Amino acid sequence: MQITDNDRIRIADASFPKPFAGGLEFNAPAHGTWNIVHIGFKIPKAHQIYICADNCMRGVVMTAAEMGELNRFSSVILEEDDMVFAGRLEESTIEGVTDVLNSLPEMPPVVIVFPVCVHKFMGCDINFIYDELSKRFPSVKFVRGFMDPVMQKRGTTPDQRLRKAMFDIIPEGEKDGSVTVMGCDMPLSKDNDIRKLLEAQGVTVRDEASCSSLQDYYDLGKCSSVICSYPAGLLGTTAFCKRIGRPLVYMPFTFGYDEIDDALSQIGTVPVFNGRVSCDRVAAGLKTLLGDTEIAIDYTAVPRPISLARFLIEKGFNLKRIYLDAVDPDEKEDFDWLAANAPDVMLCATMHVKGRRPLRAESDQKILAIGQKAAWFEGTEYFVNMIEGGGLYGYAGIKAFLKLMEDAFIVPKDTEDIIPRKGLGCSSLLC
Amino acid sequence: MKKAYKILPVYTGDVSGFASALYELGGMLVIHDPSGCNSTYNTHDEVRWYKQEALIYISGLNDIDAITGNDNKFIGDIVRAAEDMKPKFIALANSPLPYLNGTDFKGISKIVEDRTGLPCFYVQTNAMHDYTKGASEAFSAFAKKMLKPSGKKVSGGINILGTTPLDHTNTKFVIPEGKTLVSNWAYNSSLDEVLKATQAELNLVVSSTGLAAAEYMKEAFDIPYELLGNYLDVERKKSRNYIVGEPVISGYIAAQIKKIYGADLNVIATTEITGGLLAECDRKCHGEDEIKQSLSDAEMIIGDPLFELISPKTARFIRLPHFAMSGRLFRKEIPDLMRLEDYYNEP
Repeated sequence: MQITDNDRIRIADASFPKPFAGGLEFNAPAHGTWNIVHIGFKIPKAHQIYICADNCMRGVVMTAAEMGELNRFSSVILEEDDMVFAGRLEESTIEGVTDVLNSLPEMPPVVIVFPVCVHKFMGCDINFIYDELSKRFPSVKFVRGFMDPVMQKRGTTPDQRLRKAMFDIIPEGEKDGSVTVMGCDMPLSKDNDIRKLLEAQGVTVRDEASCSSLQDYYDLGKCSSVICSYPAGLLGTTAFCKRIGRPLVYMPFTFGYDEIDDALSQIGTVPVFNGRVSCDRVAAGLKTLLGDTEIAIDYTAVPRPISLARFLIEKGFNLKRIYLDAVDPDEKEDFDWLAANAPDVMLCATMHVKGRRPLRAESDQKILAIGQKAAWFEGTEYFVNMIEGGGLYGYAGIKAFLKLMEDAFIVPKDTEDIIPRKGLGCSSLLC
Repeated sequence: MKKAYKILPVYTGDVSGFASALYELGGMLVIHDPSGCNSTYNTHDEVRWYKQEALIYISGLNDIDAITGNDNKFIGDIVRAAEDMKPKFIALANSPLPYLNGTDFKGISKIVEDRTGLPCFYVQTNAMHDYTKGASEAFSAFAKKMLKPSGKKVSGGINILGTTPLDHTNTKFVIPEGKTLVSNWAYNSSLDEVLKATQAELNLVVSSTGLAAAEYMKEAFDIPYELLGNYLDVERKKSRNYIVGEPVISGYIAAQIKKIYGADLNVIATTEITGGLLAECDRKCHGEDEIKQSLSDAEMIIGDPLFELISPKTARFIRLPHFAMSGRLFRKEIPDLMRLEDYYNEP
């Protein structure tokens, strides 16, 4: 299989896991996914300080502004002179952070300091910065943030490393028999079999995405076992479990029945009665409603888009396009199945230069999109507004997901108003 | 400390200013950056991205190419994209890492021009300045590369310079009787329109982003320029009433208030380009602490609502949202700046 220079390719012809060649990159105006600012604010009472140039700062500070969180966010601006003199970058960073902290009305218990690509390239002594800040502010727990996208093409992304650093401050607590679910930004839905089944068995479930106090956050370390529910959280969750000596089960929202049963058995729950049959029944009902309506999905909606695609094809839906730029290696089996059984499904890049073309909303055809990017590229107002799987899991999750598809098909949304908003699920001052 | 911002956001950056200025002119705008510049720009600094086509991309620079100075990938990617998208010209912008490693953008522009046959030019940015610098550089670099002398003049023809949505989000300029609009740089405009600019007899500078292009056109094509409303001709006295923001717009509003109401306002210019744009009573401020200090004795302040966060509680505050400061937060409140009555009432 060839990596294509084009912006779309039949799945049967696509290279795995990287279907598309690199090049200049387009950015679609769909911004519901969380960035490092949204993620950092998951630690209650944490203050974030970024040290970077104006243009880089603008995106993060306006994220905080739109969340109404400017009082938990500060900036230290880097200028040319910071890059000319040896040691200036460390000095500007330390003195800038010190100045900010001394001016706050109350010293925050946790401060996430974000150096950037420039610090890395200037050979800045990052450890010295954190050591010095810890000496100056002994009551503060400093978390090392990351805003160095120059590294993400070949290694881990800044948000993966940020999640790890955030988990590093959770102390090991005495085991209390609870289960901690972490790694995903979406709180556990009521339609989540992990939560439903564990709670039905009397097990306390702690959700990293729902901590309302710093103590709640620290108490995540009291668990007896950990579930990671999102790929970007796996790096941090793995390190966390290793540090505090707890078993880890990785359970991203998937649409494969066997995988669900296997994962649920690993966390010791009872089997879901009639799970497959009830999902099949709901899917069949939805198929009757949708008929041959074209469906497009994107990678931001669920952690396993290829698994979702396979599910939709298996249930007879008219899935046409999958918007993504790479495929999660864990999805190889479903990818191969689709290539063999639905070879004409198109993989469409979201960052390709050709993505910048006028909307196709003028089409009379009703298209159901799953995810914000798919909605924009398809120019449709019928879409499931979801990121990261929406806190769903298992058979209950699949049925809830199908209901969201039904709702999306029936009730149009104001796509232009909804999808440019940042951080789906976060507070927003935009009106 | 000048560099610390405890609560205020920074203004839109120079790279976004570059993109905003050239948005509608049919070129392919490439920011040599790993990631982030494109998303920041189209989310917070651009009102047109959702619906209006523009070829604005980032290079997706990675660490190895940055360390080894591998420009070939950058050049090859630009050439391929140009073949796909058929732009009218190509403009390149810099960001911190290529700035640090001394990437030769002028040399790259020459190679790209040779390989694509399209005009290609570099706009001097590095992400460490505000939007006025980036947009100003973009307009003047465009003018230097693209404008040709014109054999004919439009009688009473004027160009309006500096109309990005960052400053003039909802402003509607009324062309005075006897005058004809030749070109608008460059909001609700087009390449064909701005290429006619040398047919004009006068340039009207409506924000600091248009000043450098006006000065270039004066020198190269002998086209004189005026500042919006000739606001510096209106004498204003020292006062504790302030208008905070971009100097040309703030100066124009202060002059209008003086003319209509007789009230003196002093401009606190908080964007970078101020040379020749301030009256004696005005001042330039850089950074949150300086702005806060300057406002500390204020009786009345006109400014973006975010400046209220650092204003004395005793001052009367008049909201004048500025897209390059508060972005989308108060977008629906942004007035037509030419209609003073919509946002200012005498106390």
